[in-house]
Parts: sequence; C-alpha cells; structure tokens
Amino acid sequence: MPDWGRTTLELMVQELQHPVRLDESFDRRVMVRVRRLYAERRRRGIVGWLGAAVNITRRPAWAAALAAGVVAVVSAGIVRGGGHPGTLSTGETIPVQFVLVAPDARSVAVVGDFNNWGLGDTALVAVNHNGVWSVSATVRTGVHRYAFLVNGKQWVADPTAPRAAGDDFGQPSSALVVEGSSQ
Amino acid sequence: MSTCTARNILAVLLIGSAFRSAEAQDPRLTNRLDAPTRKALSALIDSARVQGIPVEPLMEKVYQGLAMNADGARIVVAVRSLTHEMGNAHRVLGSVATTDELKAAASAVHAGVPAVELGKMKKQSGLRRSLTLPFTVLADIVSRGVPVQTAANAIRSLVGAGAKDKDISDFQRNVSVDIEKGAQPAAAAETRAKGAVVPTSKAENHEHE
Repeated sequence: MPDWGRTTLELMVQELQHPVRLDESFDRRVMVRVRRLYAERRRRGIVGWLGAAVNITRRPAWAAALAAGVVAVVSAGIVRGGGHPGTLSTGETIPVQFVLVAPDARSVAVVGDFNNWGLGDTALVAVNHNGVWSVSATVRTGVHRYAFLVNGKQWVADPTAPRAAGDDFGQPSSALVVEGSSQ
Repeated sequence: MSTCTARNILAVLLIGSAFRSAEAQDPRLTNRLDAPTRKALSALIDSARVQGIPVEPLMEKVYQGLAMNADGARIVVAVRSLTHEMGNAHRVLGSVATTDELKAAASAVHAGVPAVELGKMKKQSGLRRSLTLPFTVLADIVSRGVPVQTAANAIRSLVGAGAKDKDISDFQRNVSVDIEKGAQPAAAAETRAKGAVVPTSKAENHEHE
C-alpha cells in the first residue's frame, strides 16, 4: 500500500474509533420520528394492525416456594405479541408483565438483558400488591436472560419460565422469549 | 484468508472495538473492571466479531456478571465460554441464523446438547422457521434432567411435526410440572412429546366448536 493510502486509512481508523456520544434528547427525537412514521403508515393502512400489538398471551403458572422459604414466583416466561402474520416489524417491543409472589419481600426488581442488567436507574422495580409484586415493561422481541432481585441481594429465577442454562455466576436466571407479531 | 474473514477484520479496524465503545458509554465497565480484565474482554469480543459472531450477547454476559458481583476473572471465563458456544452454534446453523437463534442455541450447547443436533433441527425445519424458542426449551429440559438425546429427539419430533411455538411452550411447562411432581425426566419428556402436537385440522375444528 502506498504511503498516502496508509495515512488516509490511519486517519479514517482514528476518526472512526472515537466513541459516538449521544445527547440526552436523542431518544426523544428518535421517538418523535418513529411516531410520525408510524402515523403516516397507519394512515396509508399498511400497518394499522400494529396498534393491537399490546395484546399479550401470558402464561402464568404458580410455583412452589423457594428454598429460602421466602418467595414463590410467577411471571411471563414466553409471551407473544398480537397482530397479523407476515407483518413483523423488526425490533418491535411487546409489553410484558413480570410478577413475583413474595409476601415477605421488602423490595423486588427485575433485571436482565433487556435493561443491560442495570441495578440502578434501569431496574424494573415491582410494586407490592399484598405480597404479589408486579411490573410491566416493554421488551424488545427476542430471547432474554433475566432474574428477580429480592431485597437487593437475593437472586431468584422465575420457576414458571424456562431456565437459562448455566449459572455462570453462581446465581440462577431464567429465559424469556418475546415473539414478534408474525411468529 | 477468506473474503468474509478479511471483510470482518476490516470492519473491526474501521469501526473500532465494540468493547471500547461500550466502555465509553457505560461507566460500570471502567469503574468495576480492572485494566487486565477489560483488555481480555476487549480481545475476546473483537475476536468474536472477526468470526462473525454477534457481540451483543457477549456484552450482555459482561453486564450480567457485573450485576451479580462476579469478579473479573469469572466474567472473562463466562464470556470466553459463551463465545465458544456461539461459535459452535454459528458453524452448524450458518449465516441464516439470527442473533436470537444463536443465543438460544448457545444456551442449548451450554446445557450439553451437541451443536450438530441443533444443525440437524435447523435443516429439518427449513430456513424460515425460527428455532429460538425450541432451542430455549431444549436447554431448559436438559437442565431439568432430561437426557440430552431424549430431549433432542423430543424437540426434533415436535418441530418436525409442525408444532408451533405455543405447542412447544406448553410442552416445556408440562414437562417441568411433571418433573416437579416426581416424574422421571426422560419419561416426562417422551410422554409429553407424544401428545404435544394436535393435527392442524383437528385444532381448527376444535377452535370452531
């Protein structure tokens, strides 16, 4: 490669390696564009069905008390969005309800792949309804690993959901498959 | 060197390290991981990308380790293991597999299912049928004690019979309940697989009743 070519490439690499920083209004601006696009398409009748995608077929099942004797868990496991076949929009999000029966818990949060396992701002904090803790969240279609965090220290898998194979970090976790509308 | 590999290496050169980009945006990575761990993870993740393996699941594994207070060495081992499993899955499923399928397949491989079994299922089911859920259920029932071959046969028979994801999801739930009630895992899987698929015409008639 001639010298001028290598220099140019090095400059390109150097420039492209700078991290892209997104300002705080980025999400808002993207969502405004998405909503506008959605409204236009809906007017044209192409994906008018999309509004029905909030229908969830949830498969709750009650589970046994855990070894700690504290909690029994019920949750999403596998959920499916509504809609018509053949019209999947890539990366769509589906509302999912996570439920944990934990009468003695002082706090319950849900963390997983869908929120980058964030224990801070992005944790889904469940609300206590007489020992039944629940939280709803929109989760991107796909397969996610997740777990409940009880009282900020005890990791609990969802016994109603498939197990995530391998407790790499000595803690249990579950698998959640969120299907798109067309599947 | 194949054209594809050369293209991937060039992509890494041009785009930069996925891990370093994440580092710049998420303070957890720099605050919680020491320099040698970050270097090892960066190398692993870049190497995965060169092989055409999606890196998002690898980053998710790093975040999971951080959330669960694992030390750096353990996170590196987990990410290396996942890279290896996703690589195996990628080889047998080919480039048609989605990231989700690869992630689910890696889970099954982790549970002990040979990657070739997954490849057979993909061939049998055709390109359009997503096997994300079947692979997830396969990993689950193996982790509940169903022997690998029995589990693979059960899932393959379901997929081959045209079972929909809902049928396979019901199958998983039934098998896990049977096992919790004391059934032999193999017997539970074999028995439930036989009754898991209702022929389409009958199912449709039933719905109209």
